[in-house]
Amino acid sequence: MTLRRLPTSVLGVLGLLTLILLWHLVTAAGLVSKAFLPSPAATVDALVWGLGKGDLKGQLAATTLRMLNGWLLASIGAIALGSLIGISQTARAYLRPTLAFARSLPASAVIPIAISLVGLGPSMVLGVVVFGSVWPTLLATVQGFANVEPRLRDVAQVLRLSHLAYVGKIGLPNAVPDILAGMRLSLTIALILAVIGEMLSGQEGLGSAILLAARAFRAADLYAGLVLLGLIGLLSSYGLIWVERRLTRWRQAAMR
Amino acid sequence: MKRWRGVIVPVVLLALAEIAFRARGGPSDSLAPPSRAVAALLSILLDGSLVVGSAQTLGTLLAGLALGSLAGATAGIALGSSDLLRRMTFLTIEMLRPIPSVALLPLSLLIFGFGYRMEIAVIAFATFWPSLILTQSAVVQIEPRLTEVARLLRLSRWQTAAKIILPAAAPRLMTALRLAAGLALVVAVTAEIVSNPQGLGHDLMIAQETLRPERMFAVLFWVGLIGWGKNAALLRLERRLFAHRGDVDTGIAA
Amino acid sequence: MSLPQVALEFEAVALELGGRTILQDIGFTVARGEFVSVIGASGCGKTTLLRLLAGLIAPSHGKVCLDGRPVTMPSRQVALVFQDYGRALLPWRTATGNVSLALEAMGVPPAERPQAIAALLAKTGLAGHADKYPSQLSGGMQQRLQIARSLAQDPAVLLMDEPFGALDAMTRQALQDEVLRIVAERGATVLFVTHDLDEALYLGDRVVVLDTNPGRIARMVDIPLPRPRNQLSTRENPEFLRLRRELFTAMQEMLA
Repeated sequence: MTLRRLPTSVLGVLGLLTLILLWHLVTAAGLVSKAFLPSPAATVDALVWGLGKGDLKGQLAATTLRMLNGWLLASIGAIALGSLIGISQTARAYLRPTLAFARSLPASAVIPIAISLVGLGPSMVLGVVVFGSVWPTLLATVQGFANVEPRLRDVAQVLRLSHLAYVGKIGLPNAVPDILAGMRLSLTIALILAVIGEMLSGQEGLGSAILLAARAFRAADLYAGLVLLGLIGLLSSYGLIWVERRLTRWRQAAMR
Repeated sequence: MKRWRGVIVPVVLLALAEIAFRARGGPSDSLAPPSRAVAALLSILLDGSLVVGSAQTLGTLLAGLALGSLAGATAGIALGSSDLLRRMTFLTIEMLRPIPSVALLPLSLLIFGFGYRMEIAVIAFATFWPSLILTQSAVVQIEPRLTEVARLLRLSRWQTAAKIILPAAAPRLMTALRLAAGLALVVAVTAEIVSNPQGLGHDLMIAQETLRPERMFAVLFWVGLIGWGKNAALLRLERRLFAHRGDVDTGIAA
Repeated sequence: MSLPQVALEFEAVALELGGRTILQDIGFTVARGEFVSVIGASGCGKTTLLRLLAGLIAPSHGKVCLDGRPVTMPSRQVALVFQDYGRALLPWRTATGNVSLALEAMGVPPAERPQAIAALLAKTGLAGHADKYPSQLSGGMQQRLQIARSLAQDPAVLLMDEPFGALDAMTRQALQDEVLRIVAERGATVLFVTHDLDEALYLGDRVVVLDTNPGRIARMVDIPLPRPRNQLSTRENPEFLRLRRELFTAMQEMLA
């Protein structure tokens, strides 16, 4: 089979193009109503127009910023708190079950509480994004500290490292792979919560844009918004993977 | 004695919350002390409204999960067994996967209107991807020696799938199901909060809108309990089914 | 129809993979019922030799023949016993289940299987362990189980890839004698790969010595020692010692 010989990247593009072709054929044949599934061409049109003359650019920026701000705040807080908990074995033992329970709670479920506390404004959305994104990174940080090689803990004691020095020189560097994995998860959650927040509060962003497009039966605009959201998710996750690779070079070198 | 360590912190926090609330005096529209929340929980349990909401949420959850994980697992097995298919689809999967399932709620609403189907569709979409990816990796990571044994014994494609691939991948498939189930609950509740007027998520919003914070906390706790209980039950099932094998660990921390 | 005297044949076989020549100029025959040991340093391609016979890979040049016909894919006539027995057994099936796999593959009706399995387990000394899982068996027993499964195919040719390499000396000796007994009973043709010179001499009618980089035949020596072999008397036989000295020196020179 000559297909097999093609490089993976070419095959991947081929697969994607096949899907788009199928999409086009389905809409062209009228198999699905245009109100539910616009043609690829219509989606691209809506995208181009929206980014150029329309509001898509502003909405894209708003959602992205909301996601990033919330995520950064959450990450800083999570790493700080996680380090504090992580240093002490007793703290870990006492707190882990609580943290695990909190993690299993759907982050969106705290939205009603947030609404009753601060109303439907931008601070509610930001607060929810921060609250929801904290958990994966927090737990990952604690985990990263928990799996420090016991021998290194002994070394730290012998060298009489202060708590701060231990965190900075041993705990955090050891926890970096776990923390980055947690941050990737947090970013996904941040995006989701930002979108939900926008949908509920009507704040400017892709979430509310999509909702409005659905209500007005503008399917092409809806899909354009979906494409952009998918892109945000894709680029942010790959961006983080790139950072992860650069920061964990020592581990990869060791594995070779 | 050690086992109770984990419980101490939440108990202490709840006690502090109770005291703080009492000290403030006067009822609030947005917060409630744990004691009132517990009372509210009992009341909605007994009058059946919580049961109705739970049934709705769990029903759509199960339907969506079944649809999404079955489709995802089937696709995952197909992709896992064919190097060519894997290489052709990876790019498409990477592009479609990051779309947040919540973003599909308006679309689902457009197509199906309010009700069960709209929620099931979104849950199915959300659970499809992790099932696909985890199943695919489970099949790919099957001990290569075993697939060689299948070749040497001249097992047919079906025989290989049934006797070697499925049993070998089973522990990881179970883990994938457990994770997908957790995701399904989150998506279900989210769908109900954002757009679907039924189920526990909807109960949460109603409690907030009608300024009954004790009810809100009660439902919230209940949701957390369901999530935790489901995960714990599936974990036990996993351990019970696969403990005797002593082979590769499931690869994902509990 | 009587079977040809020559059971296995390598005819000018060479194998290249990824730009490297793994095997070169391999040509020899194995008569029916003969026990041939293959010995060489690591990386000389001795495992590859077996895999060519088993039909798992195809040669780049030349022909590999079984009963006069070229090998294109695995045949039930040929059984392969791997060194890493733990990975070649199904961890979710009991000993009985593992042996049964071969019978299922051959289409043996379910009613006939229990008897055949019991006989095979008894033959390999696993009679009391029929219901145990591989994880509950010792290394030696797991290897016996793998051998039992191979025998279930009722093979004319038995290929063994350093089967006792991971076992302790006493278990190894017990299994060596067991293999000799089983093979004598069935009149099977055996190709036995090992890095242990003593084992190769003890077991075989002939020894093929492979050189490395690329793998090619350095020597072929007949072993005219009396059968049945005995762990004490055979190893003290002057002919055994002479062959041992000769081949030991030859291999030392190859490494130099």
